[in-house]
Amino acid sequence: MARELRPGQRKYSPGSIAADAVLVGWFIFSLFPLVWMVLLSLKSRSEQISTYFAFTPTLENFGTVLSDEGTRLTSVNFTEALLTSVINCVGAVIVSLVIGIPAAYAAGRWKYRGSNDVMFTILSFRFAPELMVIVPLFIIYNQLGIFDTNVGMIWVLQLVTMPLIVWILRSYFQDMPAELEQAALLDGYSRKRAFLMVALPLVRPGIAASALLAFIFAWNNYVFPLILTGSRHTPVTVAVTRFLGGGGQAYYNLTAAAALIAALPPLLVALSIQRYLVRGLSFGAVKS
Amino acid sequence: MATLTLSGLTARYDRTTALHGLDLEIADGEFFVLLGPSGAGKTTTLKCVAGLIDDVGGEVGIGGRSMTGVEPYERGVAMAFESYALYPQKTVEENLASPLRSGRLGSWTPAQQAERIKQVTTTLGIDHLLKRFPRELSNGQRQRTALGRVLVRPADVYLLDEPLSHLDAKLRAAMRAELTQLGEMSDTTTLYVTHDYQEALALGNRIGVLRDGKLVQVGTPEELWTEPADTFVARSLGQPEMNLLDATAVDGVAKTAGGVEVGVPAGVSGPVRIGIRPRDLTIGTVGAGGSADGADRLTIAGRVVLAERLGRAVELSVDAHGDRIIVVTTDQKVHEDDTVELSVERSAVHIFAAAEPGQDSERIGAAEPIRVAEVER
Repeated sequence: MARELRPGQRKYSPGSIAADAVLVGWFIFSLFPLVWMVLLSLKSRSEQISTYFAFTPTLENFGTVLSDEGTRLTSVNFTEALLTSVINCVGAVIVSLVIGIPAAYAAGRWKYRGSNDVMFTILSFRFAPELMVIVPLFIIYNQLGIFDTNVGMIWVLQLVTMPLIVWILRSYFQDMPAELEQAALLDGYSRKRAFLMVALPLVRPGIAASALLAFIFAWNNYVFPLILTGSRHTPVTVAVTRFLGGGGQAYYNLTAAAALIAALPPLLVALSIQRYLVRGLSFGAVKS
Repeated sequence: MATLTLSGLTARYDRTTALHGLDLEIADGEFFVLLGPSGAGKTTTLKCVAGLIDDVGGEVGIGGRSMTGVEPYERGVAMAFESYALYPQKTVEENLASPLRSGRLGSWTPAQQAERIKQVTTTLGIDHLLKRFPRELSNGQRQRTALGRVLVRPADVYLLDEPLSHLDAKLRAAMRAELTQLGEMSDTTTLYVTHDYQEALALGNRIGVLRDGKLVQVGTPEELWTEPADTFVARSLGQPEMNLLDATAVDGVAKTAGGVEVGVPAGVSGPVRIGIRPRDLTIGTVGAGGSADGADRLTIAGRVVLAERLGRAVELSVDAHGDRIIVVTTDQKVHEDDTVELSVERSAVHIFAAAEPGQDSERIGAAEPIRVAEVER
């Protein structure tokens, strides 16, 4: 007798079990580096190169990374590096939003001569390898005197954040019916007020989603700060790797601990705007 | 309150031309309906009047004043969009207050705003929905809200874009009756767009039929119904569409392949089309075949091929010796394979010029009595 399946209940066949097994295998494989990093961050200095799972866990590494001891080992204050990263990434995202939202609106609403070329140029910032431009940028930064400054980093991070924000938001503006703003124009509002009053509130989920993505990409950027910052404004990505080479001695356990700490801020940001994010990522998929 | 003049109005989107030189004069207080299939340029016409389209040629005049280069809000027009275009993040009340709060259309104290909104919403029967968001409304309520946003503000011209198209049939009929009774509607110049011929005939003081960005005919509902300019207008009005029979006119008599014969206006010869509305035909069951031509009525005999019962009416497909004719009758006793005699007043038979199948052709005139005394058969 065939039994009715309740919602959420699945019928198991050999094929589906095999598929699940493959998925679980892949899940373990892809998650393992993360697990290993967590384990490594809990190991003591003497155990750091052992590959055993059995060891005496310690939280000492986290303290060391954040303390003067860490600063002594790497000649970079990790807490300051965290702060630098926050300033750079928040600054970069804010600048990108201020310029990118109007740009995305214009790109989504109007076609003008060369509008596609402009959009393609903005996108090309993203797919051109960073190493391609890093040498000329280094020279320019030195001559302008913005080498190893927050302003310099915020500026160069626009290459990372701006294309994301403009391209994501453009599709949001395109999905929004132009008649809403036309109604506002007839109601007696200026273009600017129609944009601020009607269009902007409706793309808020899109702004949240694109800003978060841009923040994560900016936070994870390594090549630009590696070349364009010195020791004063080192961001966290570069600071983490300093534990690998500080004083001719590699501290894998400290590196793992530092990397874990560095991964926290984007996670916190993502969690705090989760509500908007779910709506933002599904927006445009469903026609109302 | 103002007249509305369109002269040589053209509009383009990228490479396609949406309007080819529209000329139209709408009198002060007139209710003018633009009728046409989708893609004919109806909405484009409204948006041109409202000043929402950039690439516009020709001129729009409101109250005798040229609107070229005039901002949308300064034109004194209020528009209801087909998509309603209600602000999703605002309540019904805020949506209605939006034109009053912009400060450019006049100034109202909060109390005056509330009073105007109250008045309009009571008329439209949505005064209990003020605190709701558009997403919490039914389509009918959204449509009324969109209409409310038009009525709440002072305007010289109302532009209404298919305001009833998304409603179900019952509500549409009710709203159609309501629309004509709205006081504001009856004294403000209104340009109303629809693809529904019944709406056009019921509401319009005059109707303009639009096809491919050109006005085919402008006239009162009676004129359009009795003297359609061409087969396009004739087929646009009425459901089912007008029967068109290909015929050849010789010596003042047009004869179809199936033997239907009608007199044509003087001077007409060669291929023509005979147009008869399905609802103009009446039905009788007479045995004899062929077609006879009486004094003021044309009769056609045929066999019922298909009878579709649509409740009160029955739609018949009749084969008259090869001519396929659609008839709508209230006679429930007709069945398939019956032999029937169709009859129609001669003045309700239209003669059109001939054209390729699928092409439209101009109307020549109404059928006339056959001057030859008797048709041998």
